[in-house]
Order: sequence, then structure tokens, then C-alpha cells
Amino acid sequence: MLMCRDLAEIASDYIDGELNGRQNLSVKIHLMMCKDCRTFIGNLRASSNLLSAHSSGKADEEFLRRIDERVAEALSVRKNNGSDSE
Amino acid sequence: METEVQSESEASLIEALKRRDSTAYQKAVRDYSPGMLAVARFYLDHSSAEEVVQDCWVTVIDAVQKFEGRSGLKTWLHRIVANRCKNRLRAANREVATDFSETLEPELANRFNSTGRWDLPPKLQFHESADTLLENGALSDCLDKHLSSLPETQRSALMLYEAHQHKSDDVCNILDVSASNLRVLLHRARQKIFLMVETFQETGEC
Repeated sequence: MLMCRDLAEIASDYIDGELNGRQNLSVKIHLMMCKDCRTFIGNLRASSNLLSAHSSGKADEEFLRRIDERVAEALSVRKNNGSDSE
Repeated sequence: METEVQSESEASLIEALKRRDSTAYQKAVRDYSPGMLAVARFYLDHSSAEEVVQDCWVTVIDAVQKFEGRSGLKTWLHRIVANRCKNRLRAANREVATDFSETLEPELANRFNSTGRWDLPPKLQFHESADTLLENGALSDCLDKHLSSLPETQRSALMLYEAHQHKSDDVCNILDVSASNLRVLLHRARQKIFLMVETFQETGEC
């Protein structure tokens, strides 16, 4: 029988639909009977949604400006050479 | 999940990059560099990762001419970064060290008793809407803080999968991890975020 700890171990696989039919069924049966695990799965799913909605990582403006400079320099070299390859 | 089919705006951006339009490069650098940096940080320290991303953009100027759109632009850029990082590691004879042995975070594992039942179950139910949760600026700051303290391997996997919405296969390919190891990385990272949000909701502190 699936215990709460077993369910916690495979909770992300359940959320992402990565479990096989049998495992998926045993999680569903456990969730029907266990309020704590329903809360846990709901909260883990909310954490996952939170990450998707959160900014997808920020790069600092100084770093981006350095890239702009490198790219601008490389573009101008290619423009002056008038060729598609270096 | 995002499909690999190019959107119209992506197709026109690629055309502009092929024409070497400097404005298009500025836009692409802003749109794609955070994800590229997340990939590079999986393999390298911060300053080496930034260096690799800068070098990659210069490479892209020529390489994009041959880009045929078999994958999306984002996936293509991330693969370039990953390959360059792997080459660096090979040159330095180093490998990324990652612990895939435990699926549960110790802090969560300790909340079960010896029979496998909850000793300390989650008390509060999180608000389901992420947008509502993120309206709380302090929570958003706390999330940033915790994301930055995750081990790089977990953070990169999490960022590529959740934030940049790559498919599992792509993440495995880009980060060079097996599907089962990716599952462990993602699950460990999500548990940490779950524990963080729980503490924040209970105590109001980060």
C-alpha cells in the first residue's frame, strides 16, 4: 500500500503526468483517503505554478550591455569585411 | 508547454538576425540571455557562464545563417550554450557533480514517522493562483532569494522546465542528464520552493 512518504517521493511525477497507469491509480486512491496528502499535492502544484509565473530569471543590465557591445563590434567587423563568414 | 513550431514573431526575428539587424540582436539578447545563462550556470561558475553566453552571441551571428528552424530558436540557442560549456568542462577535465541519490529533501523527509505517515503534515493550503501569490512583493523577493540559493544543477533544471517551459527531452539533452535524474532534480527543487512558501505563509518571514 502506498504510504504518505511514498507519495511525497513521486509527487512531482504525478503532477507532471509521468507515472504509469498503475502508479497513477494508487496515488489517486491514496489521495481520496488522505486529506494531508491532498493538501501537500495541491501546495506542491501551486509551488510549481508559482515558478512558471515568476520571472524566468533576470540577467543584469550591465551584463546585457556587455553582450550588446560584443555583438555590435562583431557585426561591424562582418559589415566591413562584407562577407557572411568570419 | 511551448511547441517547436515557430511563431510568426519568432520567424521574423530569425530573419532579422540573419540580416544582421542590430536592433533584432538587442531584442534577442534581452529575450534569450537569461535562459542561456541558466543553462551555462548548470555547468560553470558565474563569471565563466557569463563569458560563455557572450561568446555564444558572437557565434550566433554566423551560425544563424544556417539555422533551419528544426527546433525553436530558444532550444537552438540553449544547445549552443550547453555544447560550449561541455567543451570547456572536457578541456578542464571536470564534470558536474550532482547528488541524485535522495528524492526527498531532508527537511521534508523528517516530517514522516517510521510507518511512512505524516508526523507534521502541511497545515495551510496555498492559494492556487500563482498570480495572486506573486502580487505579494515580499513573497516574490523571497522566491528570488531562495532560487538563487538552490544548487545550480537544480536551479537550471527548474528554470528550463518551469520558467522557460522546455520539454523534458530538451532539458535532458541540454543539461546532459538522464530522464530519471532530471525528475530528481526537479522534485528536489520544487520541494525547496514548497518549504519556502510554507514558511512564508506561516510566519510571514523569508
